[in-house]
Amino acid sequence: MSRFFATGSDSESEESSSADEITPKAPGTINKQSLLLSDDEEDTKRVVRSAKDKRFEELTNIIKTIRNAMKIRDMSKCLEEFEQLCRAFLKSKTIMDKEGVPPFYIRLLADLEDYLNQLWEDKEGKKKMNKNNAKALSTLRQKIRKYNKDFETEIVSYKENPEQSAEEEEKDDVGSASSSESSDDDDDEGITAKSLLKKKPQEEEKKAPEASKFLKGAADEESESEDDEESEDWGSDSVHSGSESEDNEGAAASLAVVFLKKALDGDKQSDRKKDDRRKKHKPKERLEEEAGEDRDPDDEGWEKVKGGVPLVKEKPKMFAKGTEINSAVVIKKLHEILQARGKKGTDRAAQIELLHALAGISNENNLGEGILVKIKFNIIASLYDYNPNLAAFMKPEMWKKCLECIDELLDILFNNNNIFIGENIAEDSENLAISDQPLRVRGCILTLVERMDEEFTKIMQNTDPHSQEYVDNLKDEGRVCGVIDRLLQYLETKGSTEEVCRVYLRRIMHTYYKFDYKAHRRSLGLQGETKSEQDQEESEGEDSAIIMDRLCKFIYSKDRTDRIRTCAILCHIYHHALHSRWFQARDLMLMSHLQDNIQHADPPVQILYNRTMVQLGICAFRQGMIKDAHNALLDIQSSGRAKELLGQGLLMRNMQERNAEQEKIEKRRQVPFHMHINLELLECVYLVSAMLLEIPYMAAHEFDARRRMISKQFHHQLRVGERQPLLGPPESMREHVVAASKAMKMGDWRTCHSFIINEKMNSKVWDLFPETQCVREMLVRKIQEESLRTYLFTYSSVYDSISMETLSEMFELDLPTVHSIISKMIINEELMASLDQPTQTVVMHRTEPTSLQNMALQLAEKLGGLVENNERVFDLKQGVYGGYFNRDQKGGYQQNKSYQRAPDQRGGYQQKQGYQRDQKGGYQQKQNYQRGGYRNQNQSSY
Amino acid sequence: MASRKETPSGKTPDSPVKQIQIEGLVVMKIIKHYQEEGQGSEVVQGVLLGLVVEDRLEITNCFPFPQHTEDDADFDEVQYQMEMMRSLRHVNIDHLHVGWYQSTFNGSFVSRALLDSQFSYQHAIEESVVLIYDPIKTAQGSLCLKAYRLTPKLMEICKEKDFSADGLKKASVGYENMFEEVPIVIKNSHLISVLLWELEDKSTAADKHELLNLSSSTHLEKSLQMLMDRMDDMSQDIVKYNNYCRSLSKQQQQKHQYIQRRQQENAQRQSRGEPLLPEEDLSKMFKPPQPPPRMDTLLICSQINTYCQTIKEFTSQNLGKLFMAEALQGTSS
Repeated sequence: MSRFFATGSDSESEESSSADEITPKAPGTINKQSLLLSDDEEDTKRVVRSAKDKRFEELTNIIKTIRNAMKIRDMSKCLEEFEQLCRAFLKSKTIMDKEGVPPFYIRLLADLEDYLNQLWEDKEGKKKMNKNNAKALSTLRQKIRKYNKDFETEIVSYKENPEQSAEEEEKDDVGSASSSESSDDDDDEGITAKSLLKKKPQEEEKKAPEASKFLKGAADEESESEDDEESEDWGSDSVHSGSESEDNEGAAASLAVVFLKKALDGDKQSDRKKDDRRKKHKPKERLEEEAGEDRDPDDEGWEKVKGGVPLVKEKPKMFAKGTEINSAVVIKKLHEILQARGKKGTDRAAQIELLHALAGISNENNLGEGILVKIKFNIIASLYDYNPNLAAFMKPEMWKKCLECIDELLDILFNNNNIFIGENIAEDSENLAISDQPLRVRGCILTLVERMDEEFTKIMQNTDPHSQEYVDNLKDEGRVCGVIDRLLQYLETKGSTEEVCRVYLRRIMHTYYKFDYKAHRRSLGLQGETKSEQDQEESEGEDSAIIMDRLCKFIYSKDRTDRIRTCAILCHIYHHALHSRWFQARDLMLMSHLQDNIQHADPPVQILYNRTMVQLGICAFRQGMIKDAHNALLDIQSSGRAKELLGQGLLMRNMQERNAEQEKIEKRRQVPFHMHINLELLECVYLVSAMLLEIPYMAAHEFDARRRMISKQFHHQLRVGERQPLLGPPESMREHVVAASKAMKMGDWRTCHSFIINEKMNSKVWDLFPETQCVREMLVRKIQEESLRTYLFTYSSVYDSISMETLSEMFELDLPTVHSIISKMIINEELMASLDQPTQTVVMHRTEPTSLQNMALQLAEKLGGLVENNERVFDLKQGVYGGYFNRDQKGGYQQNKSYQRAPDQRGGYQQKQGYQRDQKGGYQQKQNYQRGGYRNQNQSSY
Repeated sequence: MASRKETPSGKTPDSPVKQIQIEGLVVMKIIKHYQEEGQGSEVVQGVLLGLVVEDRLEITNCFPFPQHTEDDADFDEVQYQMEMMRSLRHVNIDHLHVGWYQSTFNGSFVSRALLDSQFSYQHAIEESVVLIYDPIKTAQGSLCLKAYRLTPKLMEICKEKDFSADGLKKASVGYENMFEEVPIVIKNSHLISVLLWELEDKSTAADKHELLNLSSSTHLEKSLQMLMDRMDDMSQDIVKYNNYCRSLSKQQQQKHQYIQRRQQENAQRQSRGEPLLPEEDLSKMFKPPQPPPRMDTLLICSQINTYCQTIKEFTSQNLGKLFMAEALQGTSS
């Protein structure tokens, strides 16, 4: 409507038109509403005559709207109104039976069908239509075809002589006809204007008013300046039609009659004038509509207003006055309200209001808890329904309402032990009111709570994590936990095992990622004590570890769906890892054999698995298990998609790989911000462990041709560091690690230490650990040890012997440690040396090949590869010439290898082959290894 | 490959040049050129001038190509050569273009560029040769100067530009018979010979010690390193060829299957009396994969061969020296 006001200069016509627009709606909605609310209002038997008038007016109003819609080609509107019309017609069936079907109704049906057919044929126009309209058009066409079958005779008779029926109509009732007639007229015009070429019987009739208007328009021109514009607009059209009517003039004799008749009709003229003015308005409207594609949203907005307005008026009339409110009535009402649920035209907000009101009424009248529970269930359900789109998140206010509702519901359930709820209770076996029996209500509180929890997650996902809003929302997490706890208590007494498992999992999901500071502090206080005592202490208070343990163990033993158990195990491991119980976590992980089949799980579980693995790795790092840490983190880190794999954000780069739909799905999988694992911490832990492993390894295998990388990513970082043309002091975490690696390569542990542990790194990474000091001490020690190893690897060739005391001074390690490290290296044949006990020195043995020898070895290896490749070519050639099909017999070539071709060289060849076979073994081994690694990687690639 | 016989190189009867006689002046000029301009792995090149006497090519003079620098990119080499030769004619020096020379780094001279330019020389002037000068070996005490020509077979292949495996096979060109070495004789005027004798008399024994240098590892290492690089290239080439063969055979199989299926269907149709399916252009449906050029592989082979030769030579010499040293030590102690 706003657009009418917006154009507004011409107030009179606007008013009339807007009045026209609004009135047809009102009866419609009233209809709907009356259907919905109080059928008792209908009292058809009172006064027949007035009822007929009323009905007819309703009908004509709807018809008018339909005609308007036809004119602007708004098919969806047309369809809607047509459905209303049918309903209205059905309602006034009794009157129709008495009076006969009103001619204007038939006329509309006939016109509408013709109009639709014509639209249907107009292929181009159809193409231009937007989707909604096209769909509405086809439905409407089918509907009207079916519908018109009932009125076939009437329509045929109407089509035979349309004017007569029109006249009849006029005579029939002047009051309504005046309006309907006028609307008819401009309707017809609208059609002819659009499709002048169409020649149908009723068209001829239309020419007449047109012609008259044409004449009249000329006359009006002088008196009414307003009309100028209009007649100009219509000028070309009427010329067309004029010429056409000339053609038809001879044939249509009745035309003149109509013309005369109409001209004579005095009061019609004023009407027509009004029409003209309206018409002037119409093109504008049409223009608007043609200009903007946004007609649909416009229309929708329009409808909503209409839906809301009458409702407010309607609400107080929930029950007819004086009705005795008892449970039966309330239940009936409830059903009535519920029937509208999910239907297209239903206003969801209003429904919630109604349900609330109903709850209030039932409360006022003390109808018992059963009904209240029932209504509460439905309120929550309709709150969830409020957002039709599953992807969109609830508004926090709505959600809070919902939370309150669930809270109240739980209150009721706790207070009344005799209420049974369950999904499996059939609708008709419900017992809502009879208080001496146990109350039975259909519904599942667990599902509602789960949904509520999910909505909470969604809200968190959709809130900017750096805003105050997020913090505010996060405060509700406690309430959610509270609700889940209460539900847990409730279900423990009443629910089935399955339900208990489900609610346990919910509880676990809200517990596993939180660090239990209370327990941590307690254990810190008792650090000196033995482990068993600590355990005792832990078990005394109900800290999260105990809860997790209890809940998870219940699930392990009772759950029958794999998914819940898997999630529970993962959460349990995560929780263990988070609290540095490395061995428990690792054992649980190994026992569960999750690595083998996690790739079959659904993405959220895989994300949880990834999170768990990462947490496990970080835990291992804290405990000083560098190798374990590296292995656990390798899969996640090596892909370079850690962010995605942990569900902590989407990577933008593969935008083209996924469409919008996929992206939405992925967005829904994201973990809320407060559960995120710090990615920088993760990467730093990974890189530092890679450094501690890789640098000594690199030093040990400097000349090994077949040296493989332990960590690709680490190497990548090193290369990036090397490529820097100018090396400034390190800034980022990565640069720090790279700089530290370089220092370590030289065996310079002090520099390495200062790069790894300093102010910057502390604030960025190390302070994020709960036991910062322990981790740092561990790290220093590891750096010293690994630096020592690297030093020995790198410089052992320079020394003939080296005193262990010097080494222990250099690396600030105590003598036994140095001794053990060197011994280990000697045992592993990494260091060619022996320990001289009395002098406490390491005596080096020269067994390493010189660089020339190394090179010769490398060359031999390469030659081996070359020969093998050559053999392959040879093999293939033979296969090609020998026939296509025995090529697959790979083993065969060794026998029929054409030594026959060069028998004199056999000896040399065989020798070569033996060599080659050895080589092949080595090669295959390598390949197998690689494949294994790849598989591992694949396994957890989500 | 095993069946290949060692073909006598350099003595093919249809070669117009069987011997090369070089003036000492040319040798000195080449060495000087390298000394002045070539450092490390950089290569110096120049033009040889002389004339053919029967089956002997006499090289009497040479001049260097100027070193290319970035700033004179529009330098016209041909123009320079013509100018140079004209000037030389004015002072009555042989001005016939009979080839070119090039320095090498550790014997790595066999390359596509050398092949191409030698081909163009030999194509234009039939008797032209390329002189390869190895400064490193020369520094070790023995002058290393070699003359090469493309074999007639290779010339033909180069003319046809057919470097496919089949083409090479048909021409039976292996790495051994790509180049032919032409024996070189250095001739000096008598006056110079006299001077040389005199110089030799005057020179002390210390000047000749380079020849007895026992350290071998650096040179060997370098050679091995380069050999290894070539080896890698070779491996890559073989893998490429392997892939090609595989895809070819796969396609053959597909084609074969297709033909069979088509034949079967046609037989069925014939028995049912339906019209036969038309024969389609098979070559269009199965485009044969692009065969990798084999010339590079050949060149690499040849290069590897050269390396192996040098290493062999070097090690045998060194071995001899080591034995000698041992014997000397034995007597002294």
